[in-house]
Amino acid sequence: MAYSVLIVDDSPVMRSFIRRVLGLSGFEVGECMEAADGEEALARLRAHRVDVILTDINMPGMNGEELLRKLGADGVLKRIPAVVISTDATNERILRMIALGAQGYMSKPFTPETLRDELERVLGERDASRA
Amino acid sequence: MPPELEHQSMMMDQEPTASDTIREVAAEVLETMFFTEAELATCEHSWLAAAACARIRFEGSHFGEMLLGVSLEAAGPIAASFLGLEPVELTDTQHGQVIQELSNILCGAMLSHLWPESKLALLSPELTPWQEWPPAGLLHRCFTIPEGMLAISIRLAPPAQPAGNQ
Repeated sequence: MAYSVLIVDDSPVMRSFIRRVLGLSGFEVGECMEAADGEEALARLRAHRVDVILTDINMPGMNGEELLRKLGADGVLKRIPAVVISTDATNERILRMIALGAQGYMSKPFTPETLRDELERVLGERDASRA
Repeated sequence: MPPELEHQSMMMDQEPTASDTIREVAAEVLETMFFTEAELATCEHSWLAAAACARIRFEGSHFGEMLLGVSLEAAGPIAASFLGLEPVELTDTQHGQVIQELSNILCGAMLSHLWPESKLALLSPELTPWQEWPPAGLLHRCFTIPEGMLAISIRLAPPAQPAGNQ
């Protein structure tokens, strides 16, 4: 089964890199969409079916924290698992993002394999919760 | 040294693995996300005058900045490797964005390794010429990579003063 992915990051080269790593990882990607901030991400999510969100934290406009709050407050969108990808690997930040509703947290640097494993884990949990 | 820096400086001095952390994190970042290898090198800084450089500031439980320099001949291949493109396919904008992204990843990973219990925020990296900072309290390392050279400097700074409190 191929999954649709939404990449949220203000850096165009980081979005390209994540696309590339997804391709290298062996994870089955169907449609891969991009957004430069939380506001754009919400618009994409309301217009397209998305299986999993990969989001940065620090972005101009609506940042990753605010995006997670908005997702958590939306009865439909809160069912889509969100994985945070960030340079910040401090314990305080990880716990904060998990508390806001992130299902996963990837700190940079990461390998294609660790990204694939994390996506399979969060999507497996999502499928189990629906069963 | 200003009094407000003494405490932070002591924390860096007392961290026995700070230099090792720079070496280990640089090697891991470059191998994992830029598909190249970094090895410690003797500092010889003449190449830095023409290098592609980015500076990134951090704040929170620690305040300071990191400076990254990538030799001119290495900047293109590193950016191409990150994006999975041929060097000739890259724009100047992409070159700059990848150097900024590399500085962001390096700085975040190093600070998280040095102070995992801290609360830190990285500001947006900016492209800048290389600067030789005073050696006191400075963490600095040079590396060789197959494509050229790379240099990293990190230093702590006083917390920013609120406006009107100068």
